[in-house]
Amino acid sequence: MRLGGIDTTSILGYAAPLAVEPGGQVAFHLSSDSLQKVDVTVVRVRCGDPDPAGPGLKLVPMASPVNGPRAVSHQPIRTGSCAVIADRPALRDLASFTVGCFLWPTLPGTAAQTILSRWRDDRQAGWRLGLDASGHLELAVGDGTGAVASARSARPVLAREWLFVCGSYDAATGQLAVHQISLDPQAGRDRSSHGLAKGGAGLAWPQDVPLVIAARCTGEALDAPRTAAHFDGKIDRPRLCRATLEPGAMRAQCERINPAPGDPDLLAAWDFSIDIPGLTVQDRSAHRLHGRLVQVPARGVTGANWDGTANDWRALPAHYGAIHFCADDMADCGWSADFTLDVPTDWPAGYYAVRLAATPADGDPVESYVGFFVRSPRARPAAKLAIVVPIATYLAYANGALRMDQVHAESMLEGLMVLSRDDLYLQAHREVGLSTYDTHADGSGWRVSGSRRPILNMRPRCNTFNYGNDTHLIDWLEEKGIDYDVVTDEDLHREGLAALRPYRCVMTLSHPEYYSREMWDALDSYQRAGGRHMYLGGNGFYWRIAFHRDLANVIEVRRDVTGVRTWEGEAGEAHLAFTGEAGGLWRSNGRAPQRLVGVGFDAQVFDRSAGYRRLPASHDPRAAWMFEGIGADEMIGNFGARNGGAAGLEIDRADPSLGSPPGMLLVASADRIGYGGMPAPEEFRTFHRGLDGEQNARVRADLVYFPTAQGGGVFSTGSIAWVTALSHNRYDNNVSRLMENVVRRFLDPAPLP
Amino acid sequence: MLNNDPDSAHYPIDASRRDLVEEFRRAPKGPHSRELQMVLHRLRWESPGGRYVLVTVEPGKRWVLGRLPGVRGAPVELMRNKTYESLAAAEWDVFKLRWEALTGQAIED
Repeated sequence: MRLGGIDTTSILGYAAPLAVEPGGQVAFHLSSDSLQKVDVTVVRVRCGDPDPAGPGLKLVPMASPVNGPRAVSHQPIRTGSCAVIADRPALRDLASFTVGCFLWPTLPGTAAQTILSRWRDDRQAGWRLGLDASGHLELAVGDGTGAVASARSARPVLAREWLFVCGSYDAATGQLAVHQISLDPQAGRDRSSHGLAKGGAGLAWPQDVPLVIAARCTGEALDAPRTAAHFDGKIDRPRLCRATLEPGAMRAQCERINPAPGDPDLLAAWDFSIDIPGLTVQDRSAHRLHGRLVQVPARGVTGANWDGTANDWRALPAHYGAIHFCADDMADCGWSADFTLDVPTDWPAGYYAVRLAATPADGDPVESYVGFFVRSPRARPAAKLAIVVPIATYLAYANGALRMDQVHAESMLEGLMVLSRDDLYLQAHREVGLSTYDTHADGSGWRVSGSRRPILNMRPRCNTFNYGNDTHLIDWLEEKGIDYDVVTDEDLHREGLAALRPYRCVMTLSHPEYYSREMWDALDSYQRAGGRHMYLGGNGFYWRIAFHRDLANVIEVRRDVTGVRTWEGEAGEAHLAFTGEAGGLWRSNGRAPQRLVGVGFDAQVFDRSAGYRRLPASHDPRAAWMFEGIGADEMIGNFGARNGGAAGLEIDRADPSLGSPPGMLLVASADRIGYGGMPAPEEFRTFHRGLDGEQNARVRADLVYFPTAQGGGVFSTGSIAWVTALSHNRYDNNVSRLMENVVRRFLDPAPLP
Repeated sequence: MLNNDPDSAHYPIDASRRDLVEEFRRAPKGPHSRELQMVLHRLRWESPGGRYVLVTVEPGKRWVLGRLPGVRGAPVELMRNKTYESLAAAEWDVFKLRWEALTGQAIED
């Protein structure tokens, strides 16, 4: 497309793994549907934000054998989750059968969807139970000669209402039957109905075709099958029986949590409540027809039998025997790698990217990036300072498209939405998978986010939030000649305190919002053991998340009934499938951020940013060293690249009742935020006028410092916009000065005052 | 499920209040009077289907007007005859388009 400017999307890719030590390898998986060749250059990212109000784009080309022209090709993205059960003789030899489950469809009537199948589209062979394009239950059988018979229920199902559904085939007579029974058949909700049809008798089923739950095979690549006609919604307790059962008998099979495994008619009884964190589905029948999950659907979700007795799937797994599949689930594009970079041992740790450039004759110049990170060698830490790359935040926000789908963005920003080329791409190409702020096409929230897909907003030139802002800090460290190492928050999760121990001081960046218990514990232990922590952002340590135990660079988020949330999970689904822990806010989990870093999230302010005014504590000898070279009456950071102030976007305040330490000094506050400052929902109990920042002193950003045990300390800025003020006036400003004072003192081994 | 309702903004706009038009024209980024805040909320709270957006051509320098399709997977409609050299000019232009659409009365420049 020719628009003018730079084309950032005609080639896209992802790096695996996302972070690597020098000496390690990163593979790059690329795809373009318009280019045949690109020029590759590895760059180290000093600033990834092209906004002229900040430092500007600063990318340092690195000498590498992977640099140079490369042929590229198109690699499609195939979305949709499902469970795949490899073919077995017991499935091939089936004659008559009945298949059934409880079903909670979320997007019926839009396209054909499959519930359970052993079918290949290319030969129209096998059997499949599903919903047809108009939302009617359908059992279809095909003998591979092109003749397909199907029984169809008389009434379409309702969205978001539980049903029992089953379909049967009688091999002796060729009779096909489907039945659906609404579980709440009153007040206009009853969709109970059935359908009968005549098919061929004695059909033989195709060889080597997997059984698939929530999709069906196209017939290609049957070992790792291509699938189509994916289901949107929940499937609970699916059963397959080797006989033609009446609906009542089949429903009884599905009702049982533990069907008798010795039942000779029972061919499969999948129990999705077994090992909810895992990626397999288990069959309780004697046939053990276990399967594997594709594209990480949501588990730990309520089943048809859930009644509110338990809200935690660990307490009553039998009520959590469902999986919520989505036709747009996307965890891994599965693209082939185009090339592998051997990261030289002498490359400095940092933010990196490969630049993919081309000059097509019929379009704008292409300059697209794939971001990755080089962390410092575990065995050879070099600096006394480390920055913590917020992988979890980048994943949580990966490919956010909600402002194009929901209504509120323009009111929140108090101005027109400004879209980038990346946004145009996301609007048209939802197959790359969205962020945990978005909803699936069926309206359910995105709970899982991983990095094996192009992430458009984690690379140079991307939209400014998070990644771009964080590189303002890197630019400042380089400008000031302050040596730093790099660790990732996923290192904190998987390695604990060991990831931080080598360092005298660590910095968390502009938006360390998503924290697992392991990450939190590592940081907390570090602070208690003399570590110094500079928290340079806002809205930090807010949502409780988990990384997947087996999959690198994959997180899960559950949003429940509080917090600034762009979707709200279903009742009973606030616990993480990955671990069973409660999701939601850390504040609701007994750990308000104030306890860890002195301040915690209180408001959003996207229309304008403010400066901080010094408070009396800033003259206390325990804190006055921070303000050396700064006038007693100077406003701190009444400038900056994001809306003209260092206090803005998302801001935090101190509160002793939430855990701000008694030993804390509140040294400065930005408390004149204006009417665009809106408090977080957990910040008010009752509705009344006067909640906005023009009238409400609790809508503010606080700058705090407190000493911790063994000579350690914490410095927090309570604002995402903070780091974007650092480069103001060629780095000669009081935000930069204050930062320099703090970091130099925090690197001094003498115990903090 | 928790979604915003595109039809929930219902503050009535008084088309005779040209003073508010002038106030916006003078300072599109605000801060604005209480009355203008309510008018702007009414203008801005609209369905993604047909919503005006800007698309950056050159960061900080040039933008083109677009409209969201309101359908996932469909492209943003670009109105290539409407480009702006400043965000303020874009805000003013879209304000006029929305004001006329809601009140039936055009604002002359």
